[in-house]
Amino acid sequence: MSHFFRLLLFLLLTSGLSAAAQSVAFTKDQFGSDKDGLREALRALKDGDTEYRADPPRYAQALPHYLQAQTFNPNNAALNVKIGDCYLNSPTKTAALPYLEKAAKLDATADARTHYLLARALHLNAKWREAIAEYQLAQPVGSNTRNGDAGAVTGNDLQRRIQECRNGQQLMEHPTRVFIDNAGPELNSADSDYGPVVSADESTILITSRRSGSTGGKKDPEGNGYFEDIYEATWKDKTWSRATNLGTPVNTEDHNATVGVSPDGQRMLVYEGTNGGDLLEASLHGITWGKPKQLGARINTRGHETSASYSPDGRYLYFVSDRPGGAGGSDIYKVELESRAPAVSLGPIINTAYGEEGVFMQPDGKTIYFSSEGHNSMGGYDIFKSVFENGKWSEPENLGWPINTPDDDVFFVTSASGRHGYYSSDRPGGLGAKDIYRITFLGPEKQPLLSEEDQLLASRLAPVKQAILAPAVAVATAQVTILKGTVTDDATKKPLEATIDLIDNISGQTIASFRSNATSGKYLVSLPSGTNYGIVVRQDGYLFHSENFNLPVGAAYAEVVKDIPMKRLEVGTTIVLRNIFFDTGKATLRPESKAELERLQKLLVETPALKLEMAGHTDNVGEAARNQDLSKRRAQAVVTYLTQHGIVATRLTAAGYGEAKPVAPNTTKAGRQLNRRTEFKVTAK
Amino acid sequence: MQKSLLFFVLLGTPLAVRAQVDSVRASTLPGPQLAERAYNSGLASFNAQSYPAALRSFDQAIGAKPNFAAAYTNRAATRYELKNYPQAVADYDQALKLEPGNYASYFGRARAREAQNQITEAEQDYSEALKVKPDYAPAWYNRGVLRFEKGEYQAARDDFDGAIKADPKMAYAYHDRGSTNQKLNNHPAAVQDYAQALALQPDLLSALLNRATVERHANQLPQALQDYDAYIAKRADNALAFNNRGSARFENKDYAGAIADFSQAIKLDPKYAYAWNNRAAAQLKLEKYAEADADASEAIKLKAEYAEAYLNRGHAREMLRQADQACQDWRRAAELGIAVGDNYAAAAGCAGEAQ
Repeated sequence: MSHFFRLLLFLLLTSGLSAAAQSVAFTKDQFGSDKDGLREALRALKDGDTEYRADPPRYAQALPHYLQAQTFNPNNAALNVKIGDCYLNSPTKTAALPYLEKAAKLDATADARTHYLLARALHLNAKWREAIAEYQLAQPVGSNTRNGDAGAVTGNDLQRRIQECRNGQQLMEHPTRVFIDNAGPELNSADSDYGPVVSADESTILITSRRSGSTGGKKDPEGNGYFEDIYEATWKDKTWSRATNLGTPVNTEDHNATVGVSPDGQRMLVYEGTNGGDLLEASLHGITWGKPKQLGARINTRGHETSASYSPDGRYLYFVSDRPGGAGGSDIYKVELESRAPAVSLGPIINTAYGEEGVFMQPDGKTIYFSSEGHNSMGGYDIFKSVFENGKWSEPENLGWPINTPDDDVFFVTSASGRHGYYSSDRPGGLGAKDIYRITFLGPEKQPLLSEEDQLLASRLAPVKQAILAPAVAVATAQVTILKGTVTDDATKKPLEATIDLIDNISGQTIASFRSNATSGKYLVSLPSGTNYGIVVRQDGYLFHSENFNLPVGAAYAEVVKDIPMKRLEVGTTIVLRNIFFDTGKATLRPESKAELERLQKLLVETPALKLEMAGHTDNVGEAARNQDLSKRRAQAVVTYLTQHGIVATRLTAAGYGEAKPVAPNTTKAGRQLNRRTEFKVTAK
Repeated sequence: MQKSLLFFVLLGTPLAVRAQVDSVRASTLPGPQLAERAYNSGLASFNAQSYPAALRSFDQAIGAKPNFAAAYTNRAATRYELKNYPQAVADYDQALKLEPGNYASYFGRARAREAQNQITEAEQDYSEALKVKPDYAPAWYNRGVLRFEKGEYQAARDDFDGAIKADPKMAYAYHDRGSTNQKLNNHPAAVQDYAQALALQPDLLSALLNRATVERHANQLPQALQDYDAYIAKRADNALAFNNRGSARFENKDYAGAIADFSQAIKLDPKYAYAWNNRAAAQLKLEKYAEADADASEAIKLKAEYAEAYLNRGHAREMLRQADQACQDWRRAAELGIAVGDNYAAAAGCAGEAQ
């Protein structure tokens, strides 16, 4: 232990006992009521300190004493620091964090060293940001540490730790897709199990364990369980068989650790703790391993040779040695077994100023996995991968989180398929201390596939009516008026044959002429809609009979029965002129009256002695006097027309009767229409 | 009337013009015109969407007047509406026989043939209709749709061009030309066409969805999301829209938002296998593997040969440490056409060989 650290501990202890505001000292003042308990706690503290202050410190031995004292007084800052420190130097480093956090909380004036220990605990728990902050607080102390002190923390060390945290932050943002499974109780024990090596087909695994039952049965005086022995298990029915001790001659009373196995599983590389740590090779004879033999001076030196791996063809050996002349710490070397050429370093791409460890050549012959404290480690040893191509090694690639952790991750091997890897780790959840873990590489993230659809055609989504229909056809049957009846002699009532003229009042043209039946007097005419018909029934010796049918376009089908009594030319006979039209409310003759007027004029011309009285009549709508005046003026208008067309005025008179002589009740529209009339009466013949 | 009179006069001459007065009626009145009356009645029924009544009337019309071309045309249209497509085609055939070169009959027959999936014949009839009436936009449009569905996007675009030329206000033609441009990877033109369709017919909301698709292809994810939002603001009942917006959100790495959309799509249409599958995909991204497994399983239940769902379920099951089941799913996905399934199976050391 460094002088600095001892001083620091002293300061911590004293400050914790006297000065800290929240720290609870182990004193009678605090625990006067439990003198026995205080005495026990102080004794535990003292025993712990004895181990803790040993050189080198015996953390594993100190820890139980401290934990005993802690149960009595959990709120002493200095004790929490010591417990944290013991954990940081144990196989379960991450357990240090709650004690160191508590210490910092109890002691607001915590010194730089406490910050450093807390930073380490945070770092090892992958609390990168907080760890960086604590390293920065520890920095002044670290930079003042004397060189050569084993506990010293230099400024460079602190910077490196901070960089490791930054590496960890980056690597953690893009975790490697793996399953990491504890290999289970078949391989792992409550003590440390590590250094797995597998045959290429993963059928056999060899591990190193510090479990009880090791050859010689002795515990390692440096702690961490028993002396190492090598164990073997086989894969069957999707599980490992229970690992069995290889026994002698492979295992001895000293440390015996697996290092590697040949691809065919017939040769094994073994580490022995003799000569500073050497590599040996054992051969399998049937089912029995032979006594391991030294690999010779080109490989083993007085230094520390710890790890090795055969090339797939067995010609070369890759191994780790801290022999002089390396790049720093342990380095990785390569040697051709059957030649005499010296081992050569793998060079600066692989070997760093820091330690390299746990080399493994994959059965593909060009990919090595190794652990390094350098490169972009996130703390301690991280596992890296490099491929030898085109005559050089590729830049080592950190296998990333969560394979690598802030603590040491070493002795990584893979199966020939590359699908699985094995390594040891003290990650939480194991069976105790370091355990063997099996890594299943999942490869790059498998992208899920989505499905969607579009409705790209509007008419498929919302069809539109597109029917083209032929248009309607005209059906004429409804647009006609049938006029029928019987023509009779008004006096005798006998049927009478007469001529029936259809006249278009607008044009004045005669459209057609018919004759009523000579025997029955019956007639029938069809009047298509769309014409203002004047109908004139005439027969020699009779006055003409006038009817009007104004049928507009579209007028519905109708049948009208109209019996026509023909009157002879006698004085007093009255004839209604149905085809004389006036403007509404006026005495102005409308043009469509012309045919009827001409007919009247012709009658007067053909019958020179004939004298007529033109009479106007109205319905009872409006004032009687006004009606009378209007009827008179209308009668006069007819007279005026006739005189203007050659009829002597003396033959004509005009009379206005207004509403005085109705021919039908004025109560109906039809009746009022009949009452509005122009007629003449024969006054002389 | 004059002719009728003449007819009467000629008939009446031997009887000295005095007899046969009643015959005037027979000669001057039209006949009962049963065919025309029935035809017009059928037309009225058709317009009132009373298709069975329309069919009866057109039957009467044709019964009374077997060469009544228009009645065949309209009966065909009626039969089309009644989904009696073969008889519709037969009536159009007859109409064309009686009145060759009638574009309406060609167009109608094309539709009836299209309805029977006689695509080649339908396309021919649309072409015939266009020969007779090149400015008839619906014929251009319908032929374009057929060509689009055949994957003949260039020809389809020409047809939609023709439709737009004939009717510059035909929103559907712009919309579908947009889709054609989408297929032809002419993204700016597609976006423009969809915009024009919306300008002409703001309720043609599918243009928003399709424009969003194009914008996604053109890496304009924010615009696409805006269009989806606009659509859903107006129509919140379309599972497809939620499914597609969910996919866009997935692309935008908004997996929680995507899950919300896929869930809404499922709520609207519980049988929408795509939405189940897609929600499984988003669950995978959020590392909710059990949920992903359940969703993908539901998708497979709804769509037995759903390769994507098998693949996604394989991913979920791998992470659920159900290696054998994952292998089965990946292999099944490969069998159903997603070859990468075999790669996944091989990389994971699945037993057996690819089928």
